[in-house]
Amino acid sequence: MDSEITIRMVDVAKAFGETKALKKCDFEARAGEVHAIVGENGSGKSTMAKMMSGVLHPDTGKVSILGERVLSPIDAKRIGLTTIFQEVLVAEEASVFDNLYVGRDGVFKSQTTGGDRRAEADEILTRLVGKPVDLDEVVGSLPLSVKQWIVIARAILRRPRVLILDESSAALDLDSTIRLHSEIDRLRSEGATVLIVTHRIAELVRIADRATILRDGITVGTLEKHEITEENLLSMMTPADRRSGDVAEYASRAKSAAPAILTARNLAVHRTAGKFDFDLPKGSIVGVAGLDGQGQDAFVRALAGIVQPFGGDVQVRSADTDRMVSLRTLDDAANLGVSYVSGDRKREGIFPQQSIFENLAIGVYRKNLGALGVIRKATLKPMFKREVDRLRIKIGSPSNKITSLSGGNQQKVLIGRAFANDPQVIVLNDPARGVDLGTKRDLYRELRLFTDKGGSVVYLSSEIEEFIGFADRVDVFFGGTLFRSLEGNEIAEEPILASMFGKSKHASVEFDLERTA
Amino acid sequence: MSSSGIRQVTQDRSLFVPAGLFLVLLLAVAFRGQGLFTNNGLAGAILVATPLILAALAITPIVMAGRGAVDLSVGPLMGFINVTLITWLVGNGITNPVAVIAWAVGLGAAFQFVQALVIIYVRVAPIIVTLSGFLVLSGVNLMVMSRPGGVAPDWMLSWGAGTSVFSPVLLLLVAAFAVWGVLRRTMFYRNLRMTGADERMAYTSGVPVDVVRIIAHVVGGAFAGLAALSYTALISSGDPTQGSTYTLQAVTALVLGGASLSGGRGGALGSTLGAINMFLISYLLSTFNFGTVSGFVTQMAFGLILVGSLLVNVFVTSRRAVA
Repeated sequence: MDSEITIRMVDVAKAFGETKALKKCDFEARAGEVHAIVGENGSGKSTMAKMMSGVLHPDTGKVSILGERVLSPIDAKRIGLTTIFQEVLVAEEASVFDNLYVGRDGVFKSQTTGGDRRAEADEILTRLVGKPVDLDEVVGSLPLSVKQWIVIARAILRRPRVLILDESSAALDLDSTIRLHSEIDRLRSEGATVLIVTHRIAELVRIADRATILRDGITVGTLEKHEITEENLLSMMTPADRRSGDVAEYASRAKSAAPAILTARNLAVHRTAGKFDFDLPKGSIVGVAGLDGQGQDAFVRALAGIVQPFGGDVQVRSADTDRMVSLRTLDDAANLGVSYVSGDRKREGIFPQQSIFENLAIGVYRKNLGALGVIRKATLKPMFKREVDRLRIKIGSPSNKITSLSGGNQQKVLIGRAFANDPQVIVLNDPARGVDLGTKRDLYRELRLFTDKGGSVVYLSSEIEEFIGFADRVDVFFGGTLFRSLEGNEIAEEPILASMFGKSKHASVEFDLERTA
Repeated sequence: MSSSGIRQVTQDRSLFVPAGLFLVLLLAVAFRGQGLFTNNGLAGAILVATPLILAALAITPIVMAGRGAVDLSVGPLMGFINVTLITWLVGNGITNPVAVIAWAVGLGAAFQFVQALVIIYVRVAPIIVTLSGFLVLSGVNLMVMSRPGGVAPDWMLSWGAGTSVFSPVLLLLVAAFAVWGVLRRTMFYRNLRMTGADERMAYTSGVPVDVVRIIAHVVGGAFAGLAALSYTALISSGDPTQGSTYTLQAVTALVLGGASLSGGRGGALGSTLGAINMFLISYLLSTFNFGTVSGFVTQMAFGLILVGSLLVNVFVTSRRAVA
């Protein structure tokens, strides 16, 4: 089957300042196929998608869509290319109808009449959401899943010749994902090219006709339908050096017997979802997983005192009195030795205008005050050096701005900030987002050393691979509450993924128990 | 526009507060006396309120375009149009109504066009650009005309008499509403709202956001021209400084009308209600005898009512989120 080439990228490279997002990217997609772009986080998938959509432009190389260059989203629209971006881009203040048709017309001209549009919009939304949606409703008052469908419906309404889905199924549950897939099938049979950018292997094995694999900004190859298997994909996605098993060497130790350093009782992190209990055994690493927006994010924030849960109580064993003390505020967290590290460096991490030194030391100023509240730099300097050496942070002068560092090294500074507080518990919220492999490895090593010395770790990650061989237990969130705890050899890609989609292996057993009870 | 106006109020909750305030103020004014509800009273009210209503309309599309683009230059721009009209046009014997109106509208649109280009292509925060516009024009106005003086064209003198409700000033107002009514039905208006609500979303969806922003400014500038005409009619002369006071009043009217300064929410009806409410507040206060401090009391009342209406708005919109 030799159909028309719709997308062609030749030798494309793109850098953002120091970071090379794409090094060498060659890519072709045909009409009437579902083509997946696969790679780990930070391998350049989204950059590729943004280039095809005209949002970004290549530094070198050529991108052509249906034989034309795309210089802006307006060009893309004209050519017939539509992208559903990772973020749920809706105008909260505007109506569903306006959100569906944004950007469809010229500045002053409208192509079709309002009545036709309403009928069309009604039909597609009903098909996607599964029930009718009021087109005049203000989008801001709708649940996230419906917003996600609005974004998808907006794209489908345009009858695209090329549709790019950039991690678009992230906020959808399993049932909705199936509906999305049938929508993708329909477009393919109409001769459109559908690109799915994803790191969900199970999803693409099911629906992709071909898959192109990206690794560290380089396209390493394209697999045909019959070659798309989990093993093939994983071996192409992961560099050879990591496959040799450094991560897997670490056998997860049975530590659940250790006394809990942090407990949560009847915790509710979502207004309506169920309450749950949580225990963090001393000296263990507990992973936290879930699809976007399933409550795991609010959960780790509540543990660190950043947000208040809707109900329930978080307690930490005080190092001074050896009694359990409630943790409600950030102050409590600081006093009880709970540190928080965010992977969202821009919004919750770095002070971009400040030096590396200040960024690392800011959390311990309070403990190092001299007369009149003057900060004692002399005691901070050895601490700074210790953390920099330990975490192998590559820095020039400590007084350089933190933004002079790469993303990975910025993250290390933030982890150094957490360690500098001498904590009992470190709560990490997706810290490895967008950092390179070397940094990840340093991070895992340090966290293990930390637990060997009696520290405890809560580690939220959006990448399942991170837990394997690293976490002692993985708690998976679904529907706003703790759905399932996995231990031992259950900590593997398949069970974690299944739980993330709300599928429990033991579902039938539980059901039977309920009936007999 | 009354029937569609009522429907708009019942649908758009951001109009609840300004509409409610309007009714309360109207009742209060009626309670204090019948002065406003006579032919002369109403004619005077229209004359005084029109420049503010039009100034509020002038900044509405610009605020709606988002990015926190409050146009601070609108007051001095009205002043600039006023003094150039008196000095350059009337001073040189050009009094033809067509020429005068074209000058006012064209100058406003041209100035806003330039401001839009600076905002888009120099990539400076809009508020800085319009603040510069405010300062530059305030100075230029005094260079064109160092002290109040001159006379409006003869045909305009009768506009400012304030003896009949159906004066040309009312016509100006109706014309402005008509233009807006047409605008509301265009795709441009929809694009404008989407750009203001979420510029990134609009951009990635293929809305030509820069073109939309430029048009928003040009439309705003044209309204500023109409505002300057009604202002000139009101004072029947040229004044280099008085126009500047409209900036803060217009912004207040806009917020009182329920618009969001971060864009996406707002409209002509809200801005108009806001401006009328401000007029009613000062009218109401003028029926009390505060002596020499009455001006200060009015200002203070604007501030308090602004804060109060924002607070009420928070409750109205948060109720929606729960429902």
